Amino acid sequence: MANSNLPRRIIKETQRLLSEPAPGISASPSEDNMRYFNVMILGPTQSPYEGGVFKLELFLPEEYPMAAPKVRFLTKIYHPNIDKLGRICLDILKDKWSPALQIRTVLLSIQALLSAPNPDDPLSENIAKHWKTNEAEAVETAKEWTRLYASGA
Amino acid sequence: MESEDDIIDDLVSMEDDFYSGDFSDYYDDPNDEDNDYYSDGDDDYGLLEDDEDDQEAVVSRRDQLGYTVLKEADIKQRQEDDISKVSTVLSISRVDATLLLRYYNWSVSKVHDEWFADEEGVRQTVGLLETPVVQVSNARELTCGICFESLPRDNITSAACGHPFCRTCWQGYICTTINDGPGCLSLRCPVPSCNAAVGQDMIDKLATIEEKKKYSRYLLRSYIEDNRKTKWCPAPGCEFAVDFAVGGGNFDVSCICSRNFCWNCTEEAHRPVDCNTVAKWILKNSAESENMNWILANSKPCPKCKRPIEKNQGCMHMTCTPPCKFEFCWLCLGTWSEHGERTGGFYACNRYEAAKQEGVYDEAERRREMAKNSLEKYTHYYERWASNQLSRQKALADLNQMQTVQLEKLSDLQCTPESQLKFITEAWLQIVECRRVLKWTYAYGYYLPEHEHAKRQFFEYLQGEAESGLERLHQCAEKELNKFILCDGPSKEFDEFRAKLAGLTSVTKNYFENLVRALENGLADVDSQAVAACSKTTSSKNLGGTSKGRGGRGKGSSKTGGSSRNVDDTSN
Repeated sequence: MANSNLPRRIIKETQRLLSEPAPGISASPSEDNMRYFNVMILGPTQSPYEGGVFKLELFLPEEYPMAAPKVRFLTKIYHPNIDKLGRICLDILKDKWSPALQIRTVLLSIQALLSAPNPDDPLSENIAKHWKTNEAEAVETAKEWTRLYASGA
Repeated sequence: MESEDDIIDDLVSMEDDFYSGDFSDYYDDPNDEDNDYYSDGDDDYGLLEDDEDDQEAVVSRRDQLGYTVLKEADIKQRQEDDISKVSTVLSISRVDATLLLRYYNWSVSKVHDEWFADEEGVRQTVGLLETPVVQVSNARELTCGICFESLPRDNITSAACGHPFCRTCWQGYICTTINDGPGCLSLRCPVPSCNAAVGQDMIDKLATIEEKKKYSRYLLRSYIEDNRKTKWCPAPGCEFAVDFAVGGGNFDVSCICSRNFCWNCTEEAHRPVDCNTVAKWILKNSAESENMNWILANSKPCPKCKRPIEKNQGCMHMTCTPPCKFEFCWLCLGTWSEHGERTGGFYACNRYEAAKQEGVYDEAERRREMAKNSLEKYTHYYERWASNQLSRQKALADLNQMQTVQLEKLSDLQCTPESQLKFITEAWLQIVECRRVLKWTYAYGYYLPEHEHAKRQFFEYLQGEAESGLERLHQCAEKELNKFILCDGPSKEFDEFRAKLAGLTSVTKNYFENLVRALENGLADVDSQAVAACSKTTSSKNLGGTSKGRGGRGKGSSKTGGSSRNVDDTSN
C-alpha cells in the first residue's frame, strides 16, 4: 500500500543508493515499506567510532522531498550531537532542509558528524560537557561504546 | 536608546505647561455652542465620534507628537511608494526592491545607505544575483534537481542563479514554504549552497491563487510588523495599523476602530501607569489561569521578539521562527553568538549556573511564605481594579443607551433641544474616562513600594478623593438624571441640575487630570498647589462618603474599601 504511487524521485534515489553506494554507507529499503530504510554507517577512520558499524533507521515522510527525512541511530553511540534515543542534532534535518538534498547527502552529513563532533551545539548535554572539559577521556568513552555496542558481531 | 523613563519625564514636563491649571476654563457655560465638540452626527456613530472627541484634550498633544492610523489601502499605498522609490533610485526591478526593503525592515534610508556603501555586499547578502552562477546548457532536456526527471526545457525554470528545477517541484517548494509562514518572504533557491533570492515574480508565476494571497498577506504584514514605526491595532478583528513618530512622549493612541491603546506595549491605554507595571499587572491577573501557568512552565519568550517558545526537544541552540530568527541559548536566553568558553561553554553557561547557586531555593521558599500575605494584598487591588473595569463597561453601555434613547425622550419631556443636552453626554464620557484612570490607579497602588509610607498615604488620599468625586458624578448622572426622565413634564429644577452636572463634570475632569499627572510623576514632585486646590474644590463641594478604603488595605476581608463602589455597581 505504502509502495504504490511511490514518487519517481524516491525510486531513483533508491536505485542509485543500491547501485552506487557511498563509501562506508549502505541504505536499503525495507521490503514492506519502500519509504523505510535500514541504514548502516561505518565509523569513519581516525574517529573514536572507527571500526564500529552503526545501524540507523531512515524514514521518508509523505511530504518528502519537501520535508526532511526522519533519521535516528539504532545503535547506542557516545556523541555530543546524538541523544540516548538516537536522535540527531543536525541542521539539514531541521530548518536547513532543502528539497535539493537527498538521502545520500543526509547520510554523508551524518557520517561527517561522526568525524567531527560539534559539542558547541549539543543535543546530549552531559556528553557535550564531558567533551568540552576532558576531550581525551570523552573520546575514550566513545571508543569504549563503539567496542561494546557497534562491534558488528 | 531613549529609555521609557526619559520619555515619561519629557511627557510630564510637557504636561506641566499644558495643564497649567486654570480651573475657570472648565467652568465655561456648557450651553455655549462654541464649546461644542460634538458634531451632530448620525446617532449610530455617535458613540464613536464622541469617544474621539472625548480625547480632545489629548488630541492637541497628539498633533505635536504625530501618529497616523493606516487603513489597508494606505498601507499598500505606502508600501508601493517605498518600493517605487527604491526601485527608481537604485535602478533595480520592483521585485528586487521589495526583497531589499524586506531585508532591511522596510527602511528606505537603510537600503540606500547599505546599497551605496557596498552594493556587491548587499547583493550577496540579500541574494540578488546579476548573472547566473550555473551556465544553463543548450540541451533540449534538463534534469530537475529535485525530482530527477529529465524534462523539456519549457518545464524547467530557475531563480537568477540558474539552478534548474521543474515547475512541479518549484510549486511544491513554494507551497511548502508559504504554508510554513512568513519565512517565505526570504525564500532562496532550493540548492543549499546557493543564496539566490526567490522573489514575488516567481511566486506569481508558480503559486496557486490561495498561496499568492497568503504571500501578499505576509508581505503586507511584514510592512507593518518589521517596521519599527508601525504596529497593528491590537483590537480583535481590527485591520488598521498605527504609524507612530518614535521619540514622542505620550504613547496613547486611538485607532479609528475606537480602541485606545498604548503604542509602546499595545495594551489598552493605561495612563498614569507605565508599561512595565501594566505588563506585570496583566501577567499577574492571568497568572492564575491554567493557560498562563502552562506557558510559564513550558515556554520562554524569545529574548528578541518576545513570542513564547516551547522547547520540546533538541539542543540548547535555539533559532526563533522567521522573520525573527534570533539565535539564543535556551538556558540563559543570551545571544548565541556570545556563547563560548567565556560563558563556561556552550552547554552550561555560567549565568544560568550562577543564578541557580544564588538561591533559587531560597527564593522559592520565600515566595511560598509570602504567598499568603501577598495573595490577600493582591486580591484587594484586583477586586477594585476589576470592578472599576466593570463599572466602566456599564458606563459605556449607559452612555450608548443615553445617546440612542434617553436623550430624545428627555428632550421631549423637558422641552429642550437635544443640542442643549450635550452636557449629559459629556458627563458620561468623563465617567468612562475616569473609570479607566481609577482602574489603573489600583495597579499603581499595588506596585507602590510598601516602605514608602508617606507616598502610600498620599496616594491613597488622592485615590480616595478621586473615587468619591467620581462616585458623586456617577450618582448625579445616573440617579438624579433619572428623576427628569421619569417625570411627566418639564421641571423647574432641570436648569439647576444642568449646572450641577456640568460643574461636577469639569471638577472631576480637572481632578483626574491632575491625578494622572501626579502619578506619572511618581508622586515625587507633586504640584502641591494643584492638589491643595483640588482637595479644596472637592471638599467645598461636600463630597459625601469619602475616605473609605484607606485604612483597610490588604487586611482581612477588605470590604471597607469597596463600599462606595459597590453602591455604585448595584445601583447600576
